[in-house]
Amino acid sequence: MNIETAKRILLLYRAGTSDADDPEFAGALQLARQEGELRQWLAEQSTVREIIRVRFKQIQVPEGFKEQIISERPWKTLVVSRQEIFALVAFVGVALLLGFVLLWSRPHAPENKLLAFENRMVSSALRNPDYGMDLITNDLNQIRAYLAEHHAQADYTLPAGLSKAVPIGCVITSWEGNSVTMICFKTGRALSPGENSDLWVFVMDQKALSNSPGNSPEFAKVNRATAATWTQDDKVYVLAVDGDEELLRNYF
Amino acid sequence: MAAKLDFDALVACYYRPLYQFAYSLTRAESDACDLTQQTFYIWATKGHQLRDDSKVKTWLFTTLHRQFLETRRRHNRFPHQELSEVEAELPTVSPQTFGQLDSAQVMKALSKLDEVYQAPVALFYLEDYAYKEIAEILEVPLGTVKSRLARGIAHLQKLLADDLSAESKATM
Repeated sequence: MNIETAKRILLLYRAGTSDADDPEFAGALQLARQEGELRQWLAEQSTVREIIRVRFKQIQVPEGFKEQIISERPWKTLVVSRQEIFALVAFVGVALLLGFVLLWSRPHAPENKLLAFENRMVSSALRNPDYGMDLITNDLNQIRAYLAEHHAQADYTLPAGLSKAVPIGCVITSWEGNSVTMICFKTGRALSPGENSDLWVFVMDQKALSNSPGNSPEFAKVNRATAATWTQDDKVYVLAVDGDEELLRNYF
Repeated sequence: MAAKLDFDALVACYYRPLYQFAYSLTRAESDACDLTQQTFYIWATKGHQLRDDSKVKTWLFTTLHRQFLETRRRHNRFPHQELSEVEAELPTVSPQTFGQLDSAQVMKALSKLDEVYQAPVALFYLEDYAYKEIAEILEVPLGTVKSRLARGIAHLQKLLADDLSAESKATM
């Protein structure tokens, strides 16, 4: 290698970089260590290179340019790769499938049978106060006899307060295949045309309910009516009035 | 995956060297800004395709250079200048004289180089890339990069030396 060839090689040499590992440079550098002229030339070249490098680095970036790039960041940065989309779709699919499986396999929450019974009876009474009574009479004894004769719930115990109301008849109905006795009363308030009763008692065997009420009346609103439920002597009672709780409490 | 790199952090790291490279190629602030922004835009939309995080910087420079070439093809804004011949002799340079240079003079001299030399020369001075990496960025063979650099650097130094010499004569 002569000096001219070495100069052409070392023109690209940058001290302090990975260039030193290049075998082509190593040979030229070796020669530079031996030849004073080449060594001097290399030193000057290194200085010139550094001067030009600094001038390149002095190129001024416009003020606020970085912030501008970031602020104008395209929405597509949110675009995910095809693999990520597949993964997302797969995840959603598995999650939905799992959800359906859980939904169908989970044990059903225990149904509140008492509430269902209470709602059904009271709502029916409100919709049809006459209820197509099987027996129309103001005599409670006749009502009990009629019920007994027709194998309905007849050995009930009515709250003492019901003596203040006027019985008008009874209905033998059913709920989920269980016989229900319905006795209709009037509170004495003025009734709307077509209404003959506004106070009702429902009696059903306690065995028909998995969650029968306690022995003391429990009051609750059912639509515009108020109802009280309790258990006595293996029977479930619902006493409902087309009115508020205060009115209903008069009949206990 | 590379796309998970934080966009803001990526911009903070590379906007300056990318802009300087772009400016070296275009010598116009607005064009350099456009190229740099376009590069980050492409990163934002396609960067997720890059698997190797360590290649991000090279990817950005490559993309910027591609955009530059594409823009130049579309608009033909940069007339081709032939470099007549490879300098028969290497320029005689004086560090003391070159110390008087400023960035504008360097950019002006760079603009006089044939286009094929401008990008490698800019990368040579701006970044301490290995020649293999410069070859990757410019998507040309390693040998081509080295020969273009040798010619480009020699010619640039000659242009600068001539410029300084003319300046010196003018002030006399």
